Amino acid sequence: MPKIIIDGREVECRAGISVLQAALEAGWDIPHYCYHPGLSVVASCRLCLMEMKMPHPQTGEVGWAPKLFPACQTPVKDGMEVRFDSPRVRASQAATLEYYLLNHPLDCPVCDKAGECCLQDYSERFGRPTSRMVEEKHKNPKKDIGPHTLLYQDRCVLCTRCVRFCDEIAGTGELRVVNRGSRAEIDVFPGLPLANELQGNVVDLCPVGALLSKDFLFRQRVWFLRSVRSVSPADSSGATIWIDCNSQGVHRVRPRFNPRVNQWWLSDEARFGWKYILRDDRLNEPRLRRGGVWEPIRWDELPEVLRYRFGRIATSDHGAGTAAVLSPMMSCEEAWLLARFVRGLAPQATLVRGYVPVRGTDKTFGTGFVIRAEKCPNRRGIERIIAHSGGNTLEFDEFIAAAGEGRFKAVYLVGGYPEEWIAKEHHKALAGVELLVVHDLFGSLLDELATVRIPAASFAEREGCFMNCDGLVQPFEQAIEPLEGVRSDGQFFYELVGGLPGADGLFRAAAVRAAMAAELPEFAEPYVPPDLPPHAH
Amino acid sequence: MPYERVLMRNVGVPNSTSLATYQASGGYAGAARALQMKPEELVELVKKANLRGRGGAGFPAGVKWSFLPPDRKVTYLCVNADESEPPTFSNRVLMEHDPHMLLEGVLIAGYATRTNVAYIYMRGEFTELFHIMQRAVDEAYAAGYFGRNILGSGYDLECYIHRGAGAYVCGEETGLIESLEGKRGWPRIKPPFPAVQGVFGQPTVVNNVETLACLPHILTRGLDWWLSLGTENSKGTKMYCISGPVNRPGCYEAPLGLSCRELIYSPEFGGGMRDGKKVKAVFPGGISMGVLRGDVFPRAADGSVDPSRDYDELDCRLDFDDVRRYDLLGLGTAAAVVVPEDADIRDVLVNVARFFAEESCGQCTQCREGTSWMYKIARRIRAGAGRPEDLDLLVEVTGNMGMMPGLSICGLPDGAAWPIRTLVQKFRAEFERHLAAQEPDAAARLIRQTNPAAWELPIWAGRRRPPTAGTMPELHRAGR
Amino acid sequence: MSWPTIDRNTLPEERLGPGLSEAVRQKIRTFFGRYPTRRAALLPALHIAQDALGYISLRAMREIAELLEVPPSAVMDVVTFYTHFWTHPKGRKVITVCRSLSCELMGGREVLAALKDKLGIDEHGTTPDGEYSLVTEECLAQCDHAPCLLINEKVYRRVKVEDLDRILADPDNDKLEIPRSDLFDAPRNEAD
Repeated sequence: MPKIIIDGREVECRAGISVLQAALEAGWDIPHYCYHPGLSVVASCRLCLMEMKMPHPQTGEVGWAPKLFPACQTPVKDGMEVRFDSPRVRASQAATLEYYLLNHPLDCPVCDKAGECCLQDYSERFGRPTSRMVEEKHKNPKKDIGPHTLLYQDRCVLCTRCVRFCDEIAGTGELRVVNRGSRAEIDVFPGLPLANELQGNVVDLCPVGALLSKDFLFRQRVWFLRSVRSVSPADSSGATIWIDCNSQGVHRVRPRFNPRVNQWWLSDEARFGWKYILRDDRLNEPRLRRGGVWEPIRWDELPEVLRYRFGRIATSDHGAGTAAVLSPMMSCEEAWLLARFVRGLAPQATLVRGYVPVRGTDKTFGTGFVIRAEKCPNRRGIERIIAHSGGNTLEFDEFIAAAGEGRFKAVYLVGGYPEEWIAKEHHKALAGVELLVVHDLFGSLLDELATVRIPAASFAEREGCFMNCDGLVQPFEQAIEPLEGVRSDGQFFYELVGGLPGADGLFRAAAVRAAMAAELPEFAEPYVPPDLPPHAH
Repeated sequence: MPYERVLMRNVGVPNSTSLATYQASGGYAGAARALQMKPEELVELVKKANLRGRGGAGFPAGVKWSFLPPDRKVTYLCVNADESEPPTFSNRVLMEHDPHMLLEGVLIAGYATRTNVAYIYMRGEFTELFHIMQRAVDEAYAAGYFGRNILGSGYDLECYIHRGAGAYVCGEETGLIESLEGKRGWPRIKPPFPAVQGVFGQPTVVNNVETLACLPHILTRGLDWWLSLGTENSKGTKMYCISGPVNRPGCYEAPLGLSCRELIYSPEFGGGMRDGKKVKAVFPGGISMGVLRGDVFPRAADGSVDPSRDYDELDCRLDFDDVRRYDLLGLGTAAAVVVPEDADIRDVLVNVARFFAEESCGQCTQCREGTSWMYKIARRIRAGAGRPEDLDLLVEVTGNMGMMPGLSICGLPDGAAWPIRTLVQKFRAEFERHLAAQEPDAAARLIRQTNPAAWELPIWAGRRRPPTAGTMPELHRAGR
Repeated sequence: MSWPTIDRNTLPEERLGPGLSEAVRQKIRTFFGRYPTRRAALLPALHIAQDALGYISLRAMREIAELLEVPPSAVMDVVTFYTHFWTHPKGRKVITVCRSLSCELMGGREVLAALKDKLGIDEHGTTPDGEYSLVTEECLAQCDHAPCLLINEKVYRRVKVEDLDRILADPDNDKLEIPRSDLFDAPRNEAD
């Protein structure tokens, strides 16, 4: 691990990285626009310039070289000494920031990026307090460059991060620089808009408010948002995300840096595909069919009712006619708790791996980002729980076939999918089930067959962990309170099982994981990716 | 005493562009001799000759060639015929009258660097010149000087002309390489250097037309002859250009070290000013290198050189070293344009600022925004709405762009900063005279019209000058 | 959304302009052998396309992109970077006036003003009869014969305001006296 000296302090850093990356990781605040660890280095913004000690070409004496070096372009070498806190560097930073603001429209009051804008932050910390620009500003136009993205060119600082992203990561190359000099702009070829499946990332990459998401435009000021660590349920890759939310709900989903899964990127599907949690037709009260009447039932009555009814059916055949369908949208803790509940009452019950939605095939982009075809987050987690539980197991298609033959009398069916998943043949197959408990987000064809219908909570309203397609266990936290009338699934299953020995009545994912870890060591230490350095962006 | 014309020996000779004429005067003999030597010997020879690049940077060509990795498989030679520096036209004169001298130089340099393919990058504006060069290339191919097994030596070299399309920044080494690859001419960051990873990712050498045209003569006339010409660090013969209102604008050849006064006034070169006017200013190395004061100013009594005093600076010797004493960036292309005493210095400033604002490629912040800002300020000064602080502002902006290396990827902002700074500094008195002659509140009125907040903001209350503490030129002055 | 924006999502058919004939494409293909990558043939391809169509239309950009196997946005990038390429139709003859320091000191501005006056157009404009377009360029490297201008390929040296009428009146004012190479010309005498 090479050791370098930055501003007089010795820093140990990873080998093979640039001085800028080393300084950022050690906590320094170095202004930079064009540098991004996931993209190629262009050293064009000239903000990260530093001074470096070098041997004099004639005398050989080591002293501060009379020139500035871009920190993003200089690799670390053991023993090198650099400084960012010198009059020359500060003067250069102040001058460069003044240049950026020369033609900038200064519309912070109406710009989405305010509050997380690098131009604001750097100007405040490194820039000049006054502007000396009294000439006419050059005004660039605002462009609609894609179905999801706007480009307000007047705010652009031409860091070309978006251009390099489209070239290298997405591989499609829609965005380019056009024109020359101070007239240079970012643009797309007319008629070929920015429409690749990763395009939402350019909005994150843009250090200023030039590239904007139409979805988030004018929605919420970022200082009213709080960020919660979560995992995207859009596909099986387990992309980690930040959910930006407040008391009014979820406003935005952004990628969370994860060196082992999605690095800095997120597919559009994951970024914009969470809106289903806001649908009007979400189920919001548990219902029970009692004496032919489909009536609401209170949450605290449900566990008793279910235990009684399942227990009664299971006594006759030790549960051979009982099944629990574990959806791959469930978290591992919930699946484990539900499996314990069902097997506790009915030792011979069948555990079914729920319906796995698959669309298309795995798609690889540019330098290796993959969008998985499996559109559920936890198939492997469910499979692990089921494999560990042993006993009778079935795949979902086999289960439907068996149910159609009348094999099952009591079924606990969990859904939680963003789209409609119950088809006519499922309805037909399950028509003969005596006790059908449906635990889902939305109503379906099964509403007329269900004995009990329990509303599910969405991923943003629960906490737990998912196991991704490569077996990596990653925890996610609860962002918002569940919809009124809905209780988090984990809490409900926890009550069904009767809680854990020695714990109180509240479901805590970490505590349940600790209990699971006794038998399933993978859950002992779930993977939490490291945060980005404080001043990296 | 007329100097011998070496590079320009065929200028004025009838039918000089044809291969027959060139061969009749001993053409391609240098190439024949070079092909007898080993490539490494050739590189050593050129190093000993201290042939410094004639394109503006003055980097020794032999040293540039020796940076090529010895174990390379593919090498490219790019001939930089993108002569866009105002007011340079020496490459044009050479290619127009003696294209085969360039081609012989390409052959020699190609052989020395083991080049597989040579590209002659000609700027798009060289319209007639392209046809002349293409005919010359065709003639050379037909005579066996390009292609396979050249002159029976076993060496193969392909030579293609690649036309540019109007961008000054493509005259920069890596800008040319990017343009050759079919992209926008944005210079690359160095390292990696073109000698290691250049065009198409392969080792590449980029040389100027005139540099290559010197090679046949070094080989035929010998090293001693070459080293006898010029000054200590600047060997050989050079094509000087002079333009503007002189009696004999044109291209003249002389060894390096000619003085500026001689270039303007000598009957063999510029022939003096038209209508007997005096010289207000001269840009001796192309506008990028900076400006010298002319003889409207008095000569220094003790003959000392002090760029901060208003003295006549025409005794500057035009070689790679003496120019720096007069606060010039370098020799550049040794193409002088003379500003007469009756020209408005503000027009010159606008012209120079406009050139760089239009030609900046847009990659680096300082250059992109700085050149554009300086142009706008220069225009406002020309329109009669300047302020004294604008002159200080111009000097400061140039200090942020070019005073220290490393501030940008290529040398364009240095070339933009130097002329503007030297113009403002060396002709400050004249600028201030013009400012004093403006309408009293012209500046304030125009500025208020453009940007009302500029004056109304309470932050300006009580302040006449914007703060300059902590800026680069200030630090430079304080010696830090 | 709230502010009016330029729409890049759609490209109406009428904005595409003319395309390249097969002969032109064939000419472009002859350049592939000169470079190790197809992309390097972009500048020659654009020269040929501009010679064929008079300007680089959006359709031509798309077709060149297809031929060279690069995204159309890359072609657009290069076309807008260089000043030589036009993205809208120009006149049959383009008058390029040098605006650099040497030509300005020798009266270039008067020549430009006179031209604008005689033709009745401004910079980057085209005369109504489609004959002349006018642009200015930086240093054409003819400083020893300042002021200078180009009409298409032909260089005019030491141009005086008095000469302009004669030059403009000459119908062959863009014909070169020296033999030409047709390397960067679009193929002539083709059916389409």
